[in-house]
Amino acid sequence: MINIDNLAVEFGGVRPIHNLTVDLTDTIVGVVGPNGAGKTTLLNVFSGFVIPVSGSVKAFGQDLLAMPAHRRAQWGLRRTFQTEQVVEDLSVWDNVVVMLDTVRLSGRERREQVQAALNLAGLAGSEARFGQDLNAYERRRVEIARAIVGQPRIVLMDEPGAGLSQAESEELQAIIKAIPDHYNAMVVLIDHDVSLIAATCTSTAVLDFGSLITHGPTGEVLRDERVKAAYLGKGEVL
Amino acid sequence: MTSRSLNSDSTTQGESMTRWPVTVASLRSMAGVAIPLILVAIILPGLLSAFWLRALTSSAIFALAAAGVALLYGRLGLVSLAQVALLGVGAWVALRLSHGTDLPFELVLLGGGIVTGLVGLIVGLPALRMRGLYLALITLMAAGGFQVIVGGTGFPDGGSGFLGRVTSASARLLMERPFVAQSDEAYFRYVLVVVAAGFLLVEIHRRTRPGRAWALIRKSEACALSAGVNVTLYQTWAFTLAGFLAGIAGGLLAGSVGQLDGRNFPASSSILLFALTVVGGVYSWLGPAITGLLYRAFPSLLIAWNIDGNLAFIVFGAALLHALITAPAGIAGQLGDVGRWLSSRIGRRGGTR
Repeated sequence: MINIDNLAVEFGGVRPIHNLTVDLTDTIVGVVGPNGAGKTTLLNVFSGFVIPVSGSVKAFGQDLLAMPAHRRAQWGLRRTFQTEQVVEDLSVWDNVVVMLDTVRLSGRERREQVQAALNLAGLAGSEARFGQDLNAYERRRVEIARAIVGQPRIVLMDEPGAGLSQAESEELQAIIKAIPDHYNAMVVLIDHDVSLIAATCTSTAVLDFGSLITHGPTGEVLRDERVKAAYLGKGEVL
Repeated sequence: MTSRSLNSDSTTQGESMTRWPVTVASLRSMAGVAIPLILVAIILPGLLSAFWLRALTSSAIFALAAAGVALLYGRLGLVSLAQVALLGVGAWVALRLSHGTDLPFELVLLGGGIVTGLVGLIVGLPALRMRGLYLALITLMAAGGFQVIVGGTGFPDGGSGFLGRVTSASARLLMERPFVAQSDEAYFRYVLVVVAAGFLLVEIHRRTRPGRAWALIRKSEACALSAGVNVTLYQTWAFTLAGFLAGIAGGLLAGSVGQLDGRNFPASSSILLFALTVVGGVYSWLGPAITGLLYRAFPSLLIAWNIDGNLAFIVFGAALLHALITAPAGIAGQLGDVGRWLSSRIGRRGGTR
């Protein structure tokens, strides 16, 4: 559960997030909105890459903003990036095991946890391949494996479906849906692909110009006229 | 009030490095390094003149210092232009400890390495906030500061007091070498063993937790933070390790020459060492080894051929241009490519028989 209260972010004169208050309670939550709505900025606030000017963010009762950025990952806040961040000169295994470097584990536990994450992400057998030898979809799956390995509490996914084919997107849906069952973790998913959001998220929050338009069950939210207007505009076609 | 955001620029990567799991192949590759090194240590000293023995000893020492530069640049993308100055710090501490205490040579080396590691940490502190040109300039200024200080005070040579200087030139003492390596030949072997241990230390870092953390930091700070990497800790650790290697190299140089001249550590030497490290290659142990040879053995070769040693600078300039334009992995990377091409050709011929 993530409780966001009166959150505001400001870059110079621009306010990408403006007095945002919302409680994200479901296990897979979507955050949608047109370009510039403040979605990635919100994830960056969660991750500690952007420091808000006011407001609070609590995750399962823990004050996220009080934690240094690197401690949030150790606490269980994980994420994938819009531009994937797979390290080219590390093997798939090393790209994932790096998440457990700050955790006290036996060698066996470490191997089992990494293998479990790789299996769920569909990368079994690719452990020794290097980041530079992977295609775009494989790199995205490495990022997902990195985000779920160990004991994640919240997995933030920033447009994981971008650039994927229909078949790959369907495979991705299955991976995302499996995360709460396998890891008892909450997933916050940002994507422009409404079909991915509709297929995976039980509830969805819609942002526009940094403010919340609506939040509720995904089906209802996607039918909301205000959401359609935010995406498509309200002006009449002449 | 304005929100602060993190820079998440990414940089291009080098060649393949860390492997999983530790396989027979990786052990074989380590043996492929160790066995030729042992053969060189056993056979080469008996074949070389005193001139070449000194040149190659010096090359090996500067290869160790270059390993620190390669670590910072290849692993983290950080430019340090103070490595020769740090080598001078290590040499100063080693000389002072050697003349002022009864510590064995190994502890003298270690003392120089530890103190220089701490100095390296201080030099690297700006790296927590700076990158690229500005960081390079700051480290260069540190090198310039050392040049001024050591140029004025000189290196300890057996005197008393903090500076350890004697008043008459005839009373200057040479640094004691280890009792197992009194001759030039034995000292060359001793240096090779210490340099190999230094390379191994870097390799262990590269293949374990620090290596992974450095790789993520180089990818982007956001990537590292999202993986729980303490960026400050691992960046300062890299500078400390690079300083430690320079300090050990400095102690070895002091032991090799016996006395050092404060005027021989200009800031420009650190720039040259960095440039040659790029030429040699920063992504494997072979790069710094080539750098050491270029830095010390190549000018000696020109001198041996009765050619002005300063011509080396022209060759180095051309080599740097070549590396920057066509060989980002340096000469070591090109040799690796040639090796892979040859092995694929041999494998193909073997397969058709």
